[in-house]
Amino acid sequence: MTIDDAVGEPRVRRLGGHLVLGVLSLACVFPVYWLYATSVRAPGDVYSLSVLPWPLSTASYADAFAKNDVLGMLLNTGVVAVFSALGQLLVALLAAYAFVAWRFPLQRLLYLMFVGTWLVPFQATMLPNYVLLSRLGLLETLAGVIVPTLCSALGVLLLREHLAGFPKELLDAARMDGRSSWSTLWLVVVPALRPALAALGILLAITAWNEYFWPAMVLQRSNAVVQLGLRSFMGTEGNDWGPLMATAGLACLPVLVLYLVLQRHIVNAFVRSGLK
Amino acid sequence: MTRSLLAAGAAAALMLTGSACGLGSTGTGSEGSVSRVPELAPDQEVSIVFESYNFGQAGAWTDTFNELIAAFEKEHPNITVTAQKPQGNSANPATDTISSLQSQLTAGSPPDVVQLGFSDLDFTINELKALPLDDLVGRDAVQANFDGARHPYAPSARTLGDWEGKTYGVPFVFSTPMLYVNKKLFTEAGLDPEQPPTTWAEVRDAAQAIDRRTGKDGVYVDCLTKTAKDWCFQALVRSHGGTVISDDRTRLTFAEKPSIDVVRFMRDMVREGIMPNRTQTQAVESFARGDLGMILESSAIQGMFLQGAGDAWELGAAAMPSFEGKQAVPTNSGAALFVFAQDPAKQRAAWELIKFLTSERAYTTIATKIGYLPLRTGLVEDPGGLESWAADNPYLAPNLAQLEHLEPWVSMPGPSYLQIRDGMMQAVENAVFQGAGPAEALRSAQQEASALLPGGER
Repeated sequence: MTIDDAVGEPRVRRLGGHLVLGVLSLACVFPVYWLYATSVRAPGDVYSLSVLPWPLSTASYADAFAKNDVLGMLLNTGVVAVFSALGQLLVALLAAYAFVAWRFPLQRLLYLMFVGTWLVPFQATMLPNYVLLSRLGLLETLAGVIVPTLCSALGVLLLREHLAGFPKELLDAARMDGRSSWSTLWLVVVPALRPALAALGILLAITAWNEYFWPAMVLQRSNAVVQLGLRSFMGTEGNDWGPLMATAGLACLPVLVLYLVLQRHIVNAFVRSGLK
Repeated sequence: MTRSLLAAGAAAALMLTGSACGLGSTGTGSEGSVSRVPELAPDQEVSIVFESYNFGQAGAWTDTFNELIAAFEKEHPNITVTAQKPQGNSANPATDTISSLQSQLTAGSPPDVVQLGFSDLDFTINELKALPLDDLVGRDAVQANFDGARHPYAPSARTLGDWEGKTYGVPFVFSTPMLYVNKKLFTEAGLDPEQPPTTWAEVRDAAQAIDRRTGKDGVYVDCLTKTAKDWCFQALVRSHGGTVISDDRTRLTFAEKPSIDVVRFMRDMVREGIMPNRTQTQAVESFARGDLGMILESSAIQGMFLQGAGDAWELGAAAMPSFEGKQAVPTNSGAALFVFAQDPAKQRAAWELIKFLTSERAYTTIATKIGYLPLRTGLVEDPGGLESWAADNPYLAPNLAQLEHLEPWVSMPGPSYLQIRDGMMQAVENAVFQGAGPAEALRSAQQEASALLPGGER
């Protein structure tokens, strides 16, 4: 006897629930399926509405590679995602540690300032950031894409909350053992925070990988990251759907693989952050 | 206490994120006349930036322009050209041109040569202060460039970048509205695919036949939505004897009888079910797939139609249809090249680049590799130019023939020109596709837009 039977839930209702879930998941998966289906259609069939692409063709992939340096783009995007995520983790870790381990003047105000930056929309900061990058000579560089993202209010907020629950006794014990605050951070705090850091890192890397707006501002002379490369197949003379879908399919792959391998951590990351 | 802390925190956060104030103004370009720029010394090194939306599109567009820039640099070893696309995040980089230029003007470093659309002409000249080429290099030099080495510009094309008698922009690329037909559907509907409709009444009859006999959609006129902008709506209105703005540019006229009649005619085709209620992208792709009999569309999209047709169906093309008893008046979409360089040496280098990009040689490359219309039309009869290309391109003749009656795409005046244009096209879209009354929709849009004209009441 199952629990459901025990509480008397009708089988039909359970089936109905699964049916709804099944339909919803199909609705979620279908656009992704259509993306890959379009990418393997023959060039002449790109506008076809048939659900099964046949005959299969790799022409769109060849076309994408011929028109754009797709591998270079994927590599650059990887660099941006990794450095952006690592940088944000480092800043967030140091800031959160400071807020939790010490008492200092204006602490609360400083913390509110961090949180406050989260409330300022990107559109309000983009022009000043752009002008600043222009003066620093960082326009048209990957560094220009990465640097303005290095401080993440979300990261500070999340890690501070995690650290707040960290036993003070451990910090005190480390101090009594004669550890400096720097080595306490790396030898005591970081190992204990590893799951939270991993979850946050994945979240930040995926966000940086998918970022489109800011790279579009900074990289005017090239399509160095893959999300910009996608746009180069759209234009006044119509959209080049074959290579567009092929590149989009390749751009999704690393995230999909990351998701498959680290599924539990990613779900954790979203649950911990309260975001989706 | 908590509240004041919160307020202080929020204020400080705003300071932290930087202040955007004071960055909104535009128009750092020069006022009034500009002094003549000297020729470059042979060993004078200059580097300039060329911004064009063509660099936003991978494939033939970027490759062809890179090839041209390389050829230019070889011819002018002292000039270095950096090419860039407009900054912004629109799917179509051509819609980012003005905002991109504005933000770079704000940052104090505009690109030196910019490719901008004709719809932005008034704003480009009067607000963004593109430099008058007649003052910069002399009217004779500008006219000599239009005359060319062997083949002059088509007469209707050479003044498209002029303003009050001076040339500001050199027309560079453009397309005209063409009636593309699916010959296979024509045959299936019992129509003669070699005799495509020449009037709107014939278009309607053919669309009815296609709808009735093949079950496919009859026709789509891609001039009736906000997304389509107003270039070919202007062509439709002018073909029916109307205008969208008075000649002295002080009064909007798009709610007068000729426009209302055009909108009503198109609305009726939608009501009859022979023009599908679709977005621009849906309609273009439906035609490319072979599910639509005819489409009035920019000749720039032709490559996409040919790719879609493949072996499945055959593409035909005809000039824009006329209204009964009237001459069809096509307009041009497209763009001209403008100079925004601030340094005299860069200004001269910018002019050298414009001359090169509009030369016979460049047009031959651009036409064969991208398919754009050569504005030096004589090239298509030149055996050393585009004669063989033209012979292989059956869609070119009706396009070139239209140039004779071509009239400019008129840009709307003042800083709010886009709102005026979009307001008009939204009203057209509402009337044709969303069931609004044509006369009421156009009149109310015209009333609202009139307040946005320079000197209008707000």
